[in-house]
Amino acid sequence: MKKNPVHSILFLLTLALIIIPILFPFIWMLMSSFKTQVDIISWPPKFVFTPVMQNYERVFIEQDFLHYMKNSLIVSVVSVFFSLVLGLPAAYSIARYKQKKLSIFILIARLMPGISFLMPWYIVFSRLRLMDSYIALILSHMLIALPLVVWVMSPYFDSVPRELEEAAMVDGLTQQSAFVKILLPLSGPGIVTATTLSFIFSWNNFMFSQVLSQQKTRTLPIAVYNFLSYVEVDWGAVMAAAVTIMAPAIILTMFFQKYVVKGLTMGAVKG
Amino acid sequence: MKKRNVLVVMLVLVSLALPMFAQGTSDQAPKQEIRVLLANHPYGELLKTKIPEFEAKTGIKVNYESLQESQLTNKLTTEFATKSSTVDVFMTRPLQEGLMFIKNGWYEGLTKYDFSDYPSNSVDIGRKNNVAYIVPLVTEWQVLYYRKDLLQKAGLSVPTTFVELEAAAKALNKDGVAGFASRGKGAAAVTQLSSYVYNFGGRYLENGKAVFDSPEALEATRFYGRLLGNYGPQGVTSMSWENVMPVFQAGKVAMWTDASVFYGQIVDPSKTSIPASDIGVAQLPKGPKGDSPFIVVSWGMAMSSASKNKSAAQQFLDWATSKELAVEGMLSNITMARDSAWANAEVRKVMNPGLVATQAHAAKNGYPYDRPFMSSVGQARDLIGEVIIESINTKGTSTRLAALAQEKVKAVDELLKTDGEYGL
Repeated sequence: MKKNPVHSILFLLTLALIIIPILFPFIWMLMSSFKTQVDIISWPPKFVFTPVMQNYERVFIEQDFLHYMKNSLIVSVVSVFFSLVLGLPAAYSIARYKQKKLSIFILIARLMPGISFLMPWYIVFSRLRLMDSYIALILSHMLIALPLVVWVMSPYFDSVPRELEEAAMVDGLTQQSAFVKILLPLSGPGIVTATTLSFIFSWNNFMFSQVLSQQKTRTLPIAVYNFLSYVEVDWGAVMAAAVTIMAPAIILTMFFQKYVVKGLTMGAVKG
Repeated sequence: MKKRNVLVVMLVLVSLALPMFAQGTSDQAPKQEIRVLLANHPYGELLKTKIPEFEAKTGIKVNYESLQESQLTNKLTTEFATKSSTVDVFMTRPLQEGLMFIKNGWYEGLTKYDFSDYPSNSVDIGRKNNVAYIVPLVTEWQVLYYRKDLLQKAGLSVPTTFVELEAAAKALNKDGVAGFASRGKGAAAVTQLSSYVYNFGGRYLENGKAVFDSPEALEATRFYGRLLGNYGPQGVTSMSWENVMPVFQAGKVAMWTDASVFYGQIVDPSKTSIPASDIGVAQLPKGPKGDSPFIVVSWGMAMSSASKNKSAAQQFLDWATSKELAVEGMLSNITMARDSAWANAEVRKVMNPGLVATQAHAAKNGYPYDRPFMSSVGQARDLIGEVIIESINTKGTSTRLAALAQEKVKAVDELLKTDGEYGL
């Protein structure tokens, strides 16, 4: 069938209608991060302006965002790693042995408002002299990542035919090595999904980091507040910081996007 | 086989965790150290640059951290409430959190501090049973910022009464420029409405009871709503200072009433598109029954009662609130609480005369609160904020304003009763 030109124009228009409202804030943020304060607040808004680097200078030189970025990276990567180490076998066990109660228990831990954990954690970590340490942050962020890993992965494991494992075990593998050698390689997209999502949630987490981190371990979302002061909001620097924070998450998502969608829908249509 | 696998995993886990534990505990040197929490405030910035001098002089190591004000309050509250705080000295907002912190015993009583250089009502706010808990750092008062060029073009002089203010707002409200602006976002607007309430002869609280439904207070709320509803910028009911200021800086507001602290920002050529010579500062116009803008201690400094390094903390507090640093603060456009800082000749030479004059007026006639002074001030501000928004949305004509205010007065009284502060 030949394409009707009217249809394709309509299609493009609809596409634009959807994309523009979604992308506009991002583009505006990106533009503002290269503007001076005067240009940012000018009315009518300026679309043509002389780009300046002063906002990024404030972010990286005056405020040392690389330090906060390092903190965020350590916390997110390590907490996601341990969540995978603990969560993958847990998800497998839940899928294989139908441990419904266990999985609901894990879900409850995730559904509880995070703030209810904060006070007890604060007391425990400060008694253990773990305040301002990475370990406190990593453990707290595992509360975000671990249930996610379990809940994304257990339907996934469930969808892998059991016969594959059984065949491997007939050939002499133990159940553990069958899990590691057969099941995990087959679950690549699911693992990528779980990793990406939990990384992003941990990367963006504000509440836990606010209370449990201090100067040394302060993470990126907290550091943005360095530009909000009692008498002024440094919009340019806030925008530049936001771009800096979003960049890794966006790159990661773009890279793994097709797995994420696949992984999320994987468990959805099984009989 | 199975057991060995588990063992290996456990070993790997533990060995990965070890270095992190080590990091948490290894850097505790026996040297005297204190932990200081500062606010993202120009005075906090000033202290940060001076702390190395303090460390060199005393040998005390200062671990400081600076936080945005609501984060600061959250952090202090969490740390103190769980009784596991390691904070020694901190910046604090007497009107926002002072009462609650005093009641909970979180501030250390400052019996050794010399308060003679401070206006007594600024110290009284942080005092209970004759013990002072907060050293006032910074004061602010309400002023009228205005565009000299626009007033001149319209042939108007700077308004000195509310009647003149309204007339000027009406005359200047044209060509895409709002005649008048002030905070319109509920809770945030409470502090800026306060001076209007005082100048109409009302109060938020009197003798420990909410009275913002009095005819005077209602008249003020109506007036404020009428000005903002008719001559304010678009969307004013969602604007706090951080939204109003950019509009003023972009040249789209002719007159703006807010706290004196913003002066430095609006005349900074890297932040504003209006030449500084076109911007004036005047005292808030008189009302029919009063001429007393708020003048408050917006920031103070205090010691934690749980501090384990009290002598070092006291040394830091004395230094951070010293006369010398107060003068330095004034020279960087921070309006300090110390009397001597205002009398300093060097300061008077560089300070904006408008600021000096309005400060003198407010110090003499002003009222030392800009919000209901109570433990649950945050909730009370939300409640009063609803009345303000109703007034702005109806341009001051709402028929249900009185009923709404009465309802909110009851709710605020309930809060006072719950906190045991009713009728005190």
